[in-house]
Amino acid sequence: MSDPITSDPMTVLVTGASGFVGAEVTARLGAAGHTVLALVHRNGDLVRNNGRRLTAGRGTLIRITGDITRPGLGLSDDDRRLAATADRIVHCAAVTDFGLPKDRYERVNVEGVRHVLALASAGRTPLVHVSTAYVCGERDGIAREDELDLGQRPGNDYEKSKLAAETLVRKAAADGLPVTVVRPSIVTGAARTGRIRDLKTIYPVLRVLTRGLVRTVPGHHDAVLDLVPVDRVADLVTAAATRFQDAEGRTLHAVGHELTLRDMSDVLAEYPSFHVPRFVPPSAFSAEALPGRERPYYDRVVSLYDPYFRRRVRFDATHAEAFGHRPAPSGGRPYLRRLLDHCLATGYLGPSPPKKPAAARPDGSTHR
Amino acid sequence: MILSEDRLQDLLDKSLAELPPGTEWAVALEGSIAEGFGNPSSDIDFLLVGRFDDDPPTMPSLLFVDGRRVEIRTRSLRQLADQLRAVEEGAERPGRLSEDLLNRCQRVLHSHPLRGHALVEEVKAMLPVARFRRIAADWWAHRARQSLRHATALLCLGESDEAVDWTRAALVQSVKSWAAGLGETYLEPKWLSMQLDRAGRVDIRDRYWALEAAALQPAGTHTGTGTHTGTGTDAGTDAAQALLTACLDFAEDLGLTDVPRRPERLTVRRAAGVTTWQTGERVHVVRGGREVFALGPDAGAVWRSLVLGRPLPRVLAEAAGTGVTEPGALLAVFLRYGLIRLAWKGGGPVTPSLPLAAPPGPVTPPPSTAQPLLSVRGAAVGGPRAVDLMPVPADRFAAAAMALVWSNVVVENAVEDLTGALQRGQWRVAELTARRAVHAALRALFSAHGVNPLPADSDLVRRMDLLPPATRPIGVRAGELLRCGVDCVKDGDALLGELRFFIDLVRGAVGADSFPLSFDSADTWRATLRLGHDWLRIGAHLGAELPIEEARDLLAGNGAQPHQAL
Repeated sequence: MSDPITSDPMTVLVTGASGFVGAEVTARLGAAGHTVLALVHRNGDLVRNNGRRLTAGRGTLIRITGDITRPGLGLSDDDRRLAATADRIVHCAAVTDFGLPKDRYERVNVEGVRHVLALASAGRTPLVHVSTAYVCGERDGIAREDELDLGQRPGNDYEKSKLAAETLVRKAAADGLPVTVVRPSIVTGAARTGRIRDLKTIYPVLRVLTRGLVRTVPGHHDAVLDLVPVDRVADLVTAAATRFQDAEGRTLHAVGHELTLRDMSDVLAEYPSFHVPRFVPPSAFSAEALPGRERPYYDRVVSLYDPYFRRRVRFDATHAEAFGHRPAPSGGRPYLRRLLDHCLATGYLGPSPPKKPAAARPDGSTHR
Repeated sequence: MILSEDRLQDLLDKSLAELPPGTEWAVALEGSIAEGFGNPSSDIDFLLVGRFDDDPPTMPSLLFVDGRRVEIRTRSLRQLADQLRAVEEGAERPGRLSEDLLNRCQRVLHSHPLRGHALVEEVKAMLPVARFRRIAADWWAHRARQSLRHATALLCLGESDEAVDWTRAALVQSVKSWAAGLGETYLEPKWLSMQLDRAGRVDIRDRYWALEAAALQPAGTHTGTGTHTGTGTDAGTDAAQALLTACLDFAEDLGLTDVPRRPERLTVRRAAGVTTWQTGERVHVVRGGREVFALGPDAGAVWRSLVLGRPLPRVLAEAAGTGVTEPGALLAVFLRYGLIRLAWKGGGPVTPSLPLAAPPGPVTPPPSTAQPLLSVRGAAVGGPRAVDLMPVPADRFAAAAMALVWSNVVVENAVEDLTGALQRGQWRVAELTARRAVHAALRALFSAHGVNPLPADSDLVRRMDLLPPATRPIGVRAGELLRCGVDCVKDGDALLGELRFFIDLVRGAVGADSFPLSFDSADTWRATLRLGHDWLRIGAHLGAELPIEEARDLLAGNGAQPHQAL
């Protein structure tokens, strides 16, 4: 993949700039000397995945406050004029937590895209839209980058909203808007260190399972989770923005390390303090049959991830690779070890389970 | 030297006379006598060096000349050059530098030329003496550090006597490192006293021997008490700590760097290929994918408290938090068996080795003799603190456990079928289902004793000779049952009664835990299936064979049965 520094300085509007992926994209664009209009919902420090404050690097960082659920992204007049100067829009903002009310996904993930598309279309500004590989829905086999709506059943309301959003983006592209779609899989810690800023996605599930709070999980041993390091996703999104002419009209899978449940089970077994869940076929699983102490944790955390434990899907990344995004260098097991080791080092994982479920609100959340 | 030049030349002449003539060799005396040590019993070691392309044999020739043992090695110039270059290249990684290679180079560099002086000197010039001193000193220093770190770990775990032994090893290695820096590079510790005398530092020499004497106190003097948790609570531990501290001070004064003062820098690390699998309450640890250790409840609790990557003192404190007494001793067993390993923060893995010995590697204890070996809830153990090695390979162990679970299910299922057949007067069906139950119960019995693969059903009764003698009456009873026919209600009732009695016999032999009544209730059935899935998990990890396809279906279907609601 070519160095983004080599491209001419641009102005890039990044939505969700304080988010897990958005902050890393913003940092990379700044480091490459670009001006970033960092759209955030609330005031507060922009923090990178490594915990450090985000800086402009060689470029310029301009924070603007807005709300993608409102028309015009809720921008002030001044900010709207500023946004109109953007050479690119990178749309990272999304709600990625699982188990939220349906209308929340609709407002943020679908209406939000509608408003971003309106802004982009007004100036015919090239758009990089961050979707999810799991728009493929509940299916087995190979999911390709040029596939979208095949009549699949979404795994949950989040996936449903991202499918609807990407469909809107495709339609705008058909109407002439220059668009690139990047589809990350399950976004997890940094490739080399396993470091993670947001303990979302698969992390709460790992915590509940390794502490033995839920010991029986519906899933297939050969179901495949695709874990992609956040830096890998940010690299591809940034490259799509800076080398837009090469990416235009394409959908790129930002995928990483395939991990079957069997892999997961074997790796968890390498940690003496971890419990290894028993995976039973979903068709015969009954939540009612779980021991009483396990049920709340299953309902509030693990069940939100059920579709991911039964899908035997693999993501073809031909277009991404042709664009220069090389396949992840190491296997899923070493990467999972890095993630687990990091979480043990920070104390997120490890023994000492709480006496009862601590959170009434679902804290299980997933990929983009 | 204890032998004069003339005497050496005479011995060499006599030795060469026994070799095939025709080759022009340069010759040097090497080994203890060349170093200025030795005694009348010492070997005479001649190194013959030739300038030719073909490599001579590496095996030495042993001769007996004038009542002395003479060892003759032949090497080409190229071979010696390669050895010296390999030492130079490996100097940066002393942990990987082979002792034999270092020893060979040391001997040639300190050899005494007897013939062809120019060629011998040409060899010696390939690696300057000062450089070699540094390499040898670093090599010993590396080993000293490893031993000191290991001793620190053992002391932390309350294994005082063992810690003292490793402290003593470190003492030798530290002083050898110091001596090597002064030119006393001969590796063999046997001549250490003479090396120290020759080094000319009486203070160092006396301090070394004082510490050596302290380390040689009678065993047990350093032992910790039953309440020790690594905080130094008794005289033995205090003495071991005092010795270690004195050795650390000494090593530091001798110039050893990175001396392990703080046990917090020791971290507990994952040992490759070690995995943990729990069935019921039993913790099983698989080593290298091949060997299964079954842990008693206390050992299991300490094992489960282990968080990899944490400092050893913290790991010990967390293990103590389980309420298990002397957790350090259990952690030491895990370390000894290679189930965990230690690393020094910033210094890589801790790989101790005694002076002039390879690192000991993981210990394999004698296999468990428990019989029966298995229950559906896990392997039998010898006690709460047991870390018992199973006497069968890991995949066979898992396969036997799965066969046990499955046999258990089949017995119960066959008894149900028999009852139904008798109610309908289906005598032939009843006979067959009774036989099926007998075979399944025998399969459970064999599996509980670790037999896998199982004999064919038709051979089970004959193969009772594989099992302990106490089970013989079961074999006799099984033979009778397999010959039983049913023609009427009375026969049928008798058969059912006999079968139940037989199953009770099997239960008595293997324990109720090995053979629970799965069909008592939906709960017990589910519990059996959960155990089945636990074993499937370890079986899948080890690539073990499932009992039969039907078992796979049942377990894969999580017990969903067409005719029975859970």
